[in-house]
Amino acid sequence: MTDCGCDKAKAELEEFLHNELSAEQCQDIRDHMANCDDCSTEHLVGLTLTTKVKEACQEKAPDELRAMILGTIERLDARA
Amino acid sequence: MTSAVLDRASTASAALVDSQTMTDELAERRRLFQEQALPFMDQLYGAAMRMTKNPADASDLVQETFVKAFAAFGQFEQGTNLKAWLYRILTNTFINVYRKKQRDPYQGSTDELEEWQLGNAESATSSSSRSAEAEAIDRMPASAVKDALQSIPEDFRLAVYFADVEGFSYQEIADIMKTPVGTVMSRLHRGRRLLRDLLADYARERGMTLKEPTTRSRSTT
Repeated sequence: MTDCGCDKAKAELEEFLHNELSAEQCQDIRDHMANCDDCSTEHLVGLTLTTKVKEACQEKAPDELRAMILGTIERLDARA
Repeated sequence: MTSAVLDRASTASAALVDSQTMTDELAERRRLFQEQALPFMDQLYGAAMRMTKNPADASDLVQETFVKAFAAFGQFEQGTNLKAWLYRILTNTFINVYRKKQRDPYQGSTDELEEWQLGNAESATSSSSRSAEAEAIDRMPASAVKDALQSIPEDFRLAVYFADVEGFSYQEIADIMKTPVGTVMSRLHRGRRLLRDLLADYARERGMTLKEPTTRSRSTT
């Protein structure tokens, strides 16, 4: 087990969260977090923030917009 | 019949065949576009809402994006990332057309903001207060999260949106925003930090306890 230490973990938590690290680097951070409250709660805040932002930003395009776009594409096709 | 007449006749029938092929190609292109690109409409609209901040401009932006995308769809290489391709068109259109109309006090200067202007979410807080922070964020209404996102500088907001909502890789975001990956990482980091500070402020104002616990209950074993 290779604990990477707080400094490295903190520096890389955001990349860890966004799946930008290699499998090996991820494992190092997981190993570290298993024994470090400080880093694991920091990660929890980051994870919660991502989940929350994602949930809050779900939108549905208005029906009129959908109809307008479909119509426009039909017309562009006919004219071309 | 003279050969000239024959020539004319064969030219005319060749043109007929050509136009038939073209109609088939267009029909096929339209079918593919409807099948592959249109399902991204809700997502593109969501991004457009975060960009323009209002439904009317967001609708115009999405409409324009699809018109441009359809016109260029012949050049789209099947099998490559269509979603990223559509987001590039959306982002370009936004920057070239809509951003000019909007007033963003931070625009163009975000990468030069100093660290001290950006709050301090990474100060040495205890892990228990950080758990409380995560809990408060979790309980926050979606409207508060959207408001916070709307209030951070545009470059930061888009980087956060692309990474956290759309799940694009840093490299894909770099391509969409036409910046180096390092800039993407810095925008993302700063954007998330600002967001976190704003949400912490919101929680404090609403009395959702976030403050450092003064008396720490210890287990009595």
